[in-house]
Amino acid sequence: MADTTKAKKRRRADPESSSSDQLQLPFKNRLKPDSVILESLHSLLKSTSSSSSTSSKPLTLSDLSLSSACREVTDLSLLSVQSAIESLILSLTHSILSGRGFSFNVPSRAATNQLYVPELDRIVLKDKNTLRPFANNSSVRKSTITAKILSLIHQLCLRSIHVTKRDLFYTDVKLFQDQTQSDAVLDDVSCMLGCTRSSLNVIAAEKGVVVGRLIFSDNGDMIDCTKMGMGGKAIPPNIDRVGDMQSDALFILLVEKDAAYIRLAEDRFYNRFPCIIVTAKGQPDVATRLFLRKMKMELKLPVLALVDSDPYGLKILSVYGCGSKNMSYDSANLTTPDIKWLGIRPSDLDKYKIPEQCRLPMTEQDIKTGKDLLEEDFVKKNPGWVEELSLMVKTKQKAEIQALSSFGFQYLSEVYLPLKLQQQDWL
Amino acid sequence: MGTSMETGGGSSESPVEPKKGRSKTPRKPKESLLKQKSPAEFFAENKNIAGFDNPGKCLYTTVRELVENSLDSAESISELPFVELTIEEIGKSKFNSMIGLVDRERIDEELYDDYETAKAREKRLAKEARAQEMQAKNAALGKKVKEQPAAKGMKGRGEASFYRVTCKDNGKGMPHDDIPNMFGRVLSGTKYGLKQTRGKFGLGAKMALIWSKMSTGLPIEISSSMKSQNYISFCRLDIDIHRNIPHVHLHEKRINDDRWHGAEIQVVIEGNWTTYRSKILHYMRQMAVITPYAQFLFKFISDTSDKNVTIKFARRTDVMPPVPLETKHHPSSVDLLLIKRLIAETSKQNLLQFLQHEFVNIGKAHAERLIGEMGPEFSPKMPIKSLTDQQIVRIHQLFRQAKFDDPTGDCLSPAGEYNLRLGIIKELHPDMVATYSGSAQVFEGHPFVVEAGVSVGGKDVKQGLNIFRFANRIPLLFEQGADVVTRTALKRINWASYKINQMQDKIGVFVSIVSTKIPFKGTGKEYIGDDITEIATAVKYAIQQCCIQLKSKIMKKMQAREQQERKRNLSKYIPDATGAVYDVLREMAQLHASKRKHYEEEDADILKKVSARLITKDTLTEKLAQHVEKVDYEMALEYATQSGVSEEPREDIYIQTLESENKFIDFHSPIFVFRLIS
Repeated sequence: MADTTKAKKRRRADPESSSSDQLQLPFKNRLKPDSVILESLHSLLKSTSSSSSTSSKPLTLSDLSLSSACREVTDLSLLSVQSAIESLILSLTHSILSGRGFSFNVPSRAATNQLYVPELDRIVLKDKNTLRPFANNSSVRKSTITAKILSLIHQLCLRSIHVTKRDLFYTDVKLFQDQTQSDAVLDDVSCMLGCTRSSLNVIAAEKGVVVGRLIFSDNGDMIDCTKMGMGGKAIPPNIDRVGDMQSDALFILLVEKDAAYIRLAEDRFYNRFPCIIVTAKGQPDVATRLFLRKMKMELKLPVLALVDSDPYGLKILSVYGCGSKNMSYDSANLTTPDIKWLGIRPSDLDKYKIPEQCRLPMTEQDIKTGKDLLEEDFVKKNPGWVEELSLMVKTKQKAEIQALSSFGFQYLSEVYLPLKLQQQDWL
Repeated sequence: MGTSMETGGGSSESPVEPKKGRSKTPRKPKESLLKQKSPAEFFAENKNIAGFDNPGKCLYTTVRELVENSLDSAESISELPFVELTIEEIGKSKFNSMIGLVDRERIDEELYDDYETAKAREKRLAKEARAQEMQAKNAALGKKVKEQPAAKGMKGRGEASFYRVTCKDNGKGMPHDDIPNMFGRVLSGTKYGLKQTRGKFGLGAKMALIWSKMSTGLPIEISSSMKSQNYISFCRLDIDIHRNIPHVHLHEKRINDDRWHGAEIQVVIEGNWTTYRSKILHYMRQMAVITPYAQFLFKFISDTSDKNVTIKFARRTDVMPPVPLETKHHPSSVDLLLIKRLIAETSKQNLLQFLQHEFVNIGKAHAERLIGEMGPEFSPKMPIKSLTDQQIVRIHQLFRQAKFDDPTGDCLSPAGEYNLRLGIIKELHPDMVATYSGSAQVFEGHPFVVEAGVSVGGKDVKQGLNIFRFANRIPLLFEQGADVVTRTALKRINWASYKINQMQDKIGVFVSIVSTKIPFKGTGKEYIGDDITEIATAVKYAIQQCCIQLKSKIMKKMQAREQQERKRNLSKYIPDATGAVYDVLREMAQLHASKRKHYEEEDADILKKVSARLITKDTLTEKLAQHVEKVDYEMALEYATQSGVSEEPREDIYIQTLESENKFIDFHSPIFVFRLIS
């Protein structure tokens, strides 16, 4: 984590190379020395850690007296998951033997059963259930798949091993038909049993990566994320084997796109401004969301997000921030509060004079998504976001992070981000 | 009917006039270029605007002009139409002998356009050899051998194909003495009123005659007889294009033994059957859809018998739509020229009577108010012929600005839902069909009616949307892409919401628009533009109405299918479900037996039975199957009581009458007669 000689060399090399093309990089002359920028980052860190220390314990659902009953899941031990499945199966057996067939009572994950709680700043699941009887044409498939998944999870409990969602799907391809079906039922099962999906010992394939000033233990092995090469360390699919987090970073930089992540990792951005860089390469998976939350909670670092300037960028931001509708039953564990929107914001397009040819016109669908987002509570609570999003819908223009490459491939890491940090330009 | 006819009319006397033109300015040599054209000449030179673009299209247009004339003729005397159309291919030597030309062998081969030079020949042979090699290779590999396109005989410009087109009907026929002028002179339409008509230009067979004159030089032959006549008029004539007068070869009366009435027209033209075969057959088929009360017999005859085609489109109903009525113009649809013409031709004396009687939707009181509005120099009693040009412009302006009631659709003759439905069923044999007939609406002073039919399934229907367009009860086959019907069906109908799969289902969309003036687009008058909101909305509404009807039928069908398949579908999942449950039970039983886990009493009881194999997978399967059986029975009962005895509405069927000459063999029994038709 300490500055290696190699990194020093690189740092020295950077200003030299950039001074020659100083004229070409707009706004470069506005940059103050790195020490000034670091100063502003220190103050951000201080305010973040102080605010998190004052509110001693995060609010939970039970602290609030909500009008409608809500449902949340908890981490359960393998043994309690096993018992839950067994009692469910026994009740099914009773029902079948008495000639009544069987049916599951599954919490509904439909949009109408979701609730955004402003106090918690995340989506939670209401208590509506749907009945899934076997002897019905429309639900026979799903109830059979549910029974099958239950029996598979039971085996995992007995043997206490982890499998991936893909493994689960391949145990009976003929029944499941495609993986989305077994995946959906898996979420139903964790809802039904009242446990998190990781308690079911089913994990998703690795998707997210992390690089920068972070040391943690993965299944007992110590990992230094500054020494993981250019690609960084893959985020472990099961969070329970991650521990002992340490860091001297000033902030966490959340990146939407792989391309921007690679640029920052290769330029060793985290050595110039001590930070941890994370990406889930698009829509975040459960592991990355759990990992981000764990970092935020244990290291008490501010989180800055770098996403595309389009409705989907903001949507991804919202998934990290207050959870997805699909997994709202576990939003308590999956969401990271207080993420700051650093860029690329619609107002940056003009502010940084991004050329017309790099901006894209929004499609009908984009504009519709944008307008829908304006109605969402998690956007409305932040007036700055509303302003930015309204601007996007009004100008009907979007831009990807890569649009900055029009000024040179390293413009992102050498001018845009430092300038943003210097100006404390986050919302 | 419209403007093109008028231009023809205005100059129809031209052949007599040129002298006058020359005498006026004899010294200017350029004046000879300003020679006036006869209407026949005009159409000969601009034959593409009447649908005579190329030989293939000429054959097609000739067919349709003749067929449409025949239908009009039969309908005008309320006779169920019977149209017999024959196209006979004429080989080159036969054609030459017809025109009295001796076949000549080529002597100087190199003189001809299709002469193959040595180099070209080498190239062709090499190509053929390669193709053969490929084919042999493919055959050896067991691949499906693709049919090699038959080496196209090089067709030079001289190799034209000729056809004799004959169309015979049972219509009104023509008065003996009028025949030469009806065919041999392109005349102005003297029709005074406004009427829904089939023809697009009103040229009919005249254009076919001009084309035959241009391509073969052979005369047209007409046989005709009217209902009361005891003779057949026969006439052979061609047209003097420059003078626009008929040139009669033979005009005589022949005996009429069969008491036939109608017309038979025979014309020899250049054409192209190969490229327009499918268009002509489609035309006949769609004509049969929209005219199910007519009987068509189509024949194609050629020397090579495998190319021959004979199709009979049988009559399916004897209900004929009424003959469209002539109506007066709507004040908002007339232009300056038309007002002048109406004034010139009217029998009315003064302005008030003129307004009241020459237009629809102007009553006496209304006419008086209009005249008051025109200005002080107008009065109800002023003689109509005394109006100045300026005054006529004033009337025209007022017509454009004033508000009038919309014209009614009474003068229109739509195909009728019944006929449209029958036509669709007859020609496509769909699984389901729904039809809708809209009420009359108005576009620029002309009433129009939109009727639509939507079918699902059927024979010879391709997957996806099959669009059939009709305007004034004739099919439109060309320029489908830009048409209002195509655009609407493709873009503005959400088929999925009616449980119809736009890609996989075989959907037939039939839209028939009738109007006193169809707002065609394009030179060939082959499509109706998408930019007329009134028509686009009416088309969309009509198609949607059909879809709504279909949806309930489709839903019913799906429900019925679900009923039938419910038990099978549920039973399919029993082994998987019970297997999953039993797997967990077995594991639990083992844990229980090894005392590694404790269970409550009732549960322990079950687990013991599992261990003792008193409860097995089969037990569960059996119990679950019983439950499924019970549920299925209950639901079937519920479905039966709910759906009850609601049957489809019954439809009349039409049985064709037999010809009286048929001989029967009767088998008599005390209660019935069994009649064999020999």
